[in-house]
Amino acid sequence: MIDRLISIDRRIIFGFVAVGLIATTLWPVLLPIRPTSNVRKIYDTIENLKGKKDAVVLVSFDYGPGSAPELQPAAINILRHCMTNDIKVVGMALWPDAVGLAQAAFDSMSTMYGKVYSRDWTFLGYKTGMATLIINMGQDFRSAFGQDMRGTSTAEMEVTRSISRLADFDYVVALAAGNSLDRTAWIPFAVDRYKVKLGGAVTAVMSPDMFPYLQSGQLNGLISGLAGAAEYETLVKAPGSAVRGMAPQSAVHVIIILFIIFGNVMYFLQRRRDRAVRASA
Amino acid sequence: MLVLKRTVPVIIAFVLGITAIAIYFIPHQKAQDLNETLALWDRIIAAFAFFLGMYSLLYIHGQRIRRRQAGWGYSAFVYVGFALMTGTAAYNRGHWVLVAPVPGGAYDWLFDYVFIPAESTMFAILAFFIASAAYRTFRARTIEAVILLVAAVIVMLGRVPVGALIWGQFPALQEWVMSVPNMAAKRGLLLGVYLGAVATALRIIFGIERAYLGGSGE
Repeated sequence: MIDRLISIDRRIIFGFVAVGLIATTLWPVLLPIRPTSNVRKIYDTIENLKGKKDAVVLVSFDYGPGSAPELQPAAINILRHCMTNDIKVVGMALWPDAVGLAQAAFDSMSTMYGKVYSRDWTFLGYKTGMATLIINMGQDFRSAFGQDMRGTSTAEMEVTRSISRLADFDYVVALAAGNSLDRTAWIPFAVDRYKVKLGGAVTAVMSPDMFPYLQSGQLNGLISGLAGAAEYETLVKAPGSAVRGMAPQSAVHVIIILFIIFGNVMYFLQRRRDRAVRASA
Repeated sequence: MLVLKRTVPVIIAFVLGITAIAIYFIPHQKAQDLNETLALWDRIIAAFAFFLGMYSLLYIHGQRIRRRQAGWGYSAFVYVGFALMTGTAAYNRGHWVLVAPVPGGAYDWLFDYVFIPAESTMFAILAFFIASAAYRTFRARTIEAVILLVAAVIVMLGRVPVGALIWGQFPALQEWVMSVPNMAAKRGLLLGVYLGAVATALRIIFGIERAYLGGSGE
């Protein structure tokens, strides 16, 4: 019996996870969310730009649809936060498959808050290069992005008229699912070389890698996974998909922990039984 | 021919490698201009890598179809998906490729209703596999395994709101695990990785490491 339970069919585990997910999605429970200091730092940085004339925030979409459930709510709420405070926003993408996601986020938020394209926001689109694109932006923003996604000149648009170098942005938030934030682009070049103030949003699995950069100050704040996005939604008082996602995520975490406990109980029972068998033999 | 295959690439790697390192530390405008030009070259070369990737993808799947290898139908589907996405992107709602992407066309539809759900579904499946893997691997067999297990439980509960409902100190404890032991370990690992990267870069620049030229490097 113990042996059967210790090597339980994985479909049973899948079943428990599925029931936990479906139940908490169909009957949502709103759980209290307490924003952590790392998320609050990004919120405060954008909040401090409120009222500053021609403040511009650069948001980099460096993820694909696979990470969208975790990162898209953070992206949407950063745009929301900027737009509700009349802070101009420029978007760009280091991943080609982020273009559609970024465009959707800009379209929904600009329509919702009545923001005008090219005056209040623009989306530059995707360009190759990662690190070298950041170097080009650091040296000469307009040579890196002469036009935005719609083909409008960045020298002519009101939103980018005051930007000649990367350091001219008041704040940069990079939403990353790969290594563009810490290893290949933003921290090594934008922060260390061009002295840009950088906040990050990453998938939960990546967040442990970011703590050395938080302590060194190379990252001024971090939105970590869906939980981080839920904290940001709470701060901007716009609970959405991330806050709703906390109940299913909590349920799955609890289910996994219960299975781990169960597995260990079985393991110790098996070990005790084997010892007893060996002693009697 | 060996000169073209081996010596010239090594000289190019040496000259460009040393130049790229040197101009990082030279604040003179000429050096910065050169830096920008080199960065631009890199981006143009990177764009060509897309064509290489595209060729490689289609070649591999073409071979599978030709040889009727197991699962060749999936390879045929790669061709269908590739043709559909490329075709609709190029068509651009009748404006073709020389005009900036026009929103709302077939490409957007495929991206929103096929690509995003398909890729999201693939990653969502991970939740199920992680649950099964956690059950089988998190066993308190040794002291190290116990430490890992306890840390995992603290982080899993501390990162979700239900953790604070179970015990109010879970979020703070989770924050400590991430900011102190995790960070110390990560910093050590990162220092090792980057020192290794510097060593590898120097080996390539000085022609000691030649595996990137193809062959055994000898």
